[in-house]
Amino acid sequence: ADDSPHSITVVGGKSGKQSRPRKAEKDEEEQPLQAVLVADSFNRRFFPISKDQPRALLPLANVSMIDYTLEFLTSTGVQETFVFCCWMSSKIKEHLQKSKWCRPTSPNVVHVITSDLYRSLGDVLRDVDAKALVRSDFLLVYGDVVSNIDVSQALQEHKQRRKMEKNVSVMTMIFKESPPGHKTRCEDDDIIVAMDGKSKRILHYQRAQALKKLHFPMNIFHSGSDEFEIRFDLLDCHISICSPQVAELFTDNFDYQTKNDFVRGLLVNEEILGNQIHMHVTKDGYGARVSNLLMYDTVSSDTIRRWIYPITPEANFADQEGQSCTHSRHNVYREPGVSLGHGSQMEENVLIGRNTVIGANCTISNTVIGANCVIGDNVTLDRAYIWNRVHIANDVKVKQSVICDNVEVKHGVVLNEQCVLAYNVVVGPDITLQEGTVLSMHHPDEEDDEDEDEFLSDDDVGYSKDKTKQKGSLFNPAEVGSEGKGYRWKSSSLDDTEEDELAECIWGLALNPDPESDSESEVSEGSHDLGSHPASPELDDVKVFQNEVHGTLQRGLDENISCDNLVLEINSLKYAYNISLKEVMQILIRVVLEFPFQQQGAQISTAQYSSHLLPLLKKWAPVFKNYVKRPQDQMDCLASMEEVFLERETHWAALVKVLMSVYQLEILEEEGIMRWFKQSSTTGKSQQLRRNQGLLKFIQWLEEAEESSEGDE
Amino acid sequence: EIHEPEEVSVWFREGSSCCQETLARNQRFTETPVNMPGADKETDLSERIESFLSELKRCGSGAGSLRGSAETARETTALLRRITAQARWGNAGELMEIIRKEGRRMTAAQPSETTVGNMIRRVLKIIREEYARSRGSSEETDQQESLHKLLTSGGSSEDNFRQHFTHLKANVIEAINELLTELEGTTDNISMQALEHIHSNEVIMTIGRSRTVEAFLKDAARKRKFHVIVAECAPFCQGHEMATSLCKEDIETTVIPDAAIFAVMSRVNKVIIGTQTVLANGGLRAVNGTHTLALAAKHHSTPLIVCAPMFKLSPQFPNEEDTFHKFVSPHEVLPFTEGEILSKVNAHCPVFDYVPPELITLFISNIGGNAPSYIYRLMSELYHPEDHEL
Repeated sequence: ADDSPHSITVVGGKSGKQSRPRKAEKDEEEQPLQAVLVADSFNRRFFPISKDQPRALLPLANVSMIDYTLEFLTSTGVQETFVFCCWMSSKIKEHLQKSKWCRPTSPNVVHVITSDLYRSLGDVLRDVDAKALVRSDFLLVYGDVVSNIDVSQALQEHKQRRKMEKNVSVMTMIFKESPPGHKTRCEDDDIIVAMDGKSKRILHYQRAQALKKLHFPMNIFHSGSDEFEIRFDLLDCHISICSPQVAELFTDNFDYQTKNDFVRGLLVNEEILGNQIHMHVTKDGYGARVSNLLMYDTVSSDTIRRWIYPITPEANFADQEGQSCTHSRHNVYREPGVSLGHGSQMEENVLIGRNTVIGANCTISNTVIGANCVIGDNVTLDRAYIWNRVHIANDVKVKQSVICDNVEVKHGVVLNEQCVLAYNVVVGPDITLQEGTVLSMHHPDEEDDEDEDEFLSDDDVGYSKDKTKQKGSLFNPAEVGSEGKGYRWKSSSLDDTEEDELAECIWGLALNPDPESDSESEVSEGSHDLGSHPASPELDDVKVFQNEVHGTLQRGLDENISCDNLVLEINSLKYAYNISLKEVMQILIRVVLEFPFQQQGAQISTAQYSSHLLPLLKKWAPVFKNYVKRPQDQMDCLASMEEVFLERETHWAALVKVLMSVYQLEILEEEGIMRWFKQSSTTGKSQQLRRNQGLLKFIQWLEEAEESSEGDE
Repeated sequence: EIHEPEEVSVWFREGSSCCQETLARNQRFTETPVNMPGADKETDLSERIESFLSELKRCGSGAGSLRGSAETARETTALLRRITAQARWGNAGELMEIIRKEGRRMTAAQPSETTVGNMIRRVLKIIREEYARSRGSSEETDQQESLHKLLTSGGSSEDNFRQHFTHLKANVIEAINELLTELEGTTDNISMQALEHIHSNEVIMTIGRSRTVEAFLKDAARKRKFHVIVAECAPFCQGHEMATSLCKEDIETTVIPDAAIFAVMSRVNKVIIGTQTVLANGGLRAVNGTHTLALAAKHHSTPLIVCAPMFKLSPQFPNEEDTFHKFVSPHEVLPFTEGEILSKVNAHCPVFDYVPPELITLFISNIGGNAPSYIYRLMSELYHPEDHEL
């Protein structure tokens, strides 16, 4: 009775390649859904763990992360997946070959594409374009995304949009609603999105990482929509539906490295290129990217607490042999062959891998333990993530820590919060590791020679063993205990700021307090163009900038640098310290006017002062002219002159001379000076300044000159 | 810096099966599908099994399955028929082995969907019967083997299934077809009995949404007027759907929150519920909240009638705790958007309740009404004792 529908499923389900010519004639929507899975993070956040195992293969609730991603893709209807790997690609390949995804019956055909030359997401997508792998809209995910979102609705919306307005919307990003403070949000991944409420179009996208202030370009308010939302309650699932144009755009813009670059670039150039990005907010699905160990902790606990149903530990979705676990109350999962000693308690949210032996009187809660582990007596584990073949002796306490494969924890060791014991480390006995300790068999200084071998993963194990032998005696007992093996890993302060703007902290808690984060400076640049800068940057920057300008001018004087070059230098300083144009001018005036004091000391007389200053003004006139252009600039310029002179009452006489020379140098025009003079001044002191004899004369002279010039005409 | 030429390796699924498959498929596109090569048949079959498995795994993000269990039962049986027709086997023993093997995978894919296992047991029973008939002996059809025989037989009686019969395949398929026909008619058979149980102006209570109960009530509504009270069955509130559906048939319907079940029970004449599984002891594994309802009914001595087709009868006992329960995402209980509170509380969202047999008055199945104490007897009629463990 039901033969016919089945055969259709089979043809559509698996024959991506073979049936292509037939399908091309039909509607585009009948193309099988494709996905690009980037099995590389292109950063070093999981170092030293990911030195031995690529991130995508790290176990999360005893299943490799990439399996979660592939399961998500398959269940959402993807029929062809391209897995791109770079770091330790052979391991990923090997894993996939063994997995159920490469069985001939898999509904999702997986192709693995490896290259050592991928350095960013941009490289991968350029390769997608070069190889012309995608035929239609595709899903773009990382190999560490855990999700159960059904994207079909978002996909339909995406296709609808592309049909309505031909190829305008190139990407739909998927977000999950989760308010600030939600445990599944990690601070470094916070984003702020401005969107059109009706069309769900993204108008502004910004990572909120460590930002104290935010700036929105004005034009997003002019987008012509009457509904407009600025949202901070979104979690980026790192799942996007892309059209083939996305790959092309990456090719066209070879400087795009990350998705962030792409999104921001596209939004900035929206007017020119006419491409748009939309978003889809899912309410009931779960989606998160394991971007650091804190996220690893939360996503693991969410998995155990069944938020990602039907992807749960006992579902054995990866279809591995002998991994069927049972689920009992309080979310306790046990794989076969687990033995639990007398008096041991698995309190709640616990997953224990097969053939693991647990001793007596242990207390275990919120913990994942891998396969073939041996855990002694009187052990307390809370939020511990213990991988495979780990030996833990008696009387050990572990709090919120990650313990990788083959680690040995000896008697009486205490691991405080956020410790990491990477592969093959031995710790103890009787040592307490401080919060945030990271131990690894890799010496932190070996960074460089390791890098050269980074793709020879096959030899890796032997290699590191050799080294252990060589340096066996060099382990610091204060760090790893008297019988311990391992080095303390210092999170590297490498120069990879250009590679990834993420803070390099493995737990992702300590945010990089870098004041010059990309996003901030970019935004302020944008607001310069609009000519208004409502809030001035912190005082420090201004001070530093002022010193720098002074230094530049001093050098210009000493080395006789041309004014054009000075302008160039000041401009670059302006960008470096994020100073607005108006402030640049104010500071420049101040620096120049105070120049004689700096050189000759503050005690110089008015006559000396003006005799020093006037040649300088003349010399730097082109610099001023560069910054003082509009009438408003003149007013600002005069106001800052006034400010400087108000501070130095004794030198008021020099003001006239300065004004005179500035007027003669055609930096300021008489209109501007007149307007400034007539301005109703606010303070008594500035009124006093205006009543200065010399100044009055100068103004009078100006007025007469004006009249006479009018008379001439 | 010297860059080696970019070494990119693209590889596809290995193995000859892929090539064969490609070949086979190309042939299929050009030729008529009558002459399917053997290899294609095999992969086609395993593909179907795979897709059925993944469907089973994914079904039921909410309460119970998205499809009714009747549909699952039909699909399972149709798949088993296909296995019988397409897999390579020489005698009944081999066929049973294949079905057992696939059956284990299917039941493991979604342990809460007992219907799948039940249908596998039914088919195994059919094979046993057909084999016995082919041999011309009535031995296997003998329901109750004597205690003496059980003791002396020792080990499995599998050796008996090694004989080859040419017509066995056709016969088994024929019998499975009969089973399919029986499955088609179950809901009708149950709803036909509605008028015997629902009388005019009665107040009936039910919980959640059961397709069987829905059909049962609607059938009764054609002749009689009565009032239905539906417990909404939070957090999934299938009761709301049920009420909407009943209203369309002009049945007077009231929706109550689950908490009001006990209070309203005094007015109720009969409780009619559906179930996910009927267990071997006559108990139920039914939607969450049913136990409350059953206890309230017992307190008020209100009869509790369970509408359950025969394919829901499972040889499972309630003490097999491991696979008994099913917890889904706690999203419905405490939305993910709640924020900080989530890290401080444990939210659980169980789907099923166990209802002990002493709270049940009557089972209405497609073959008539039975008391819970009679379930064991039906069980032995439907399944062979050796098939209880797949």
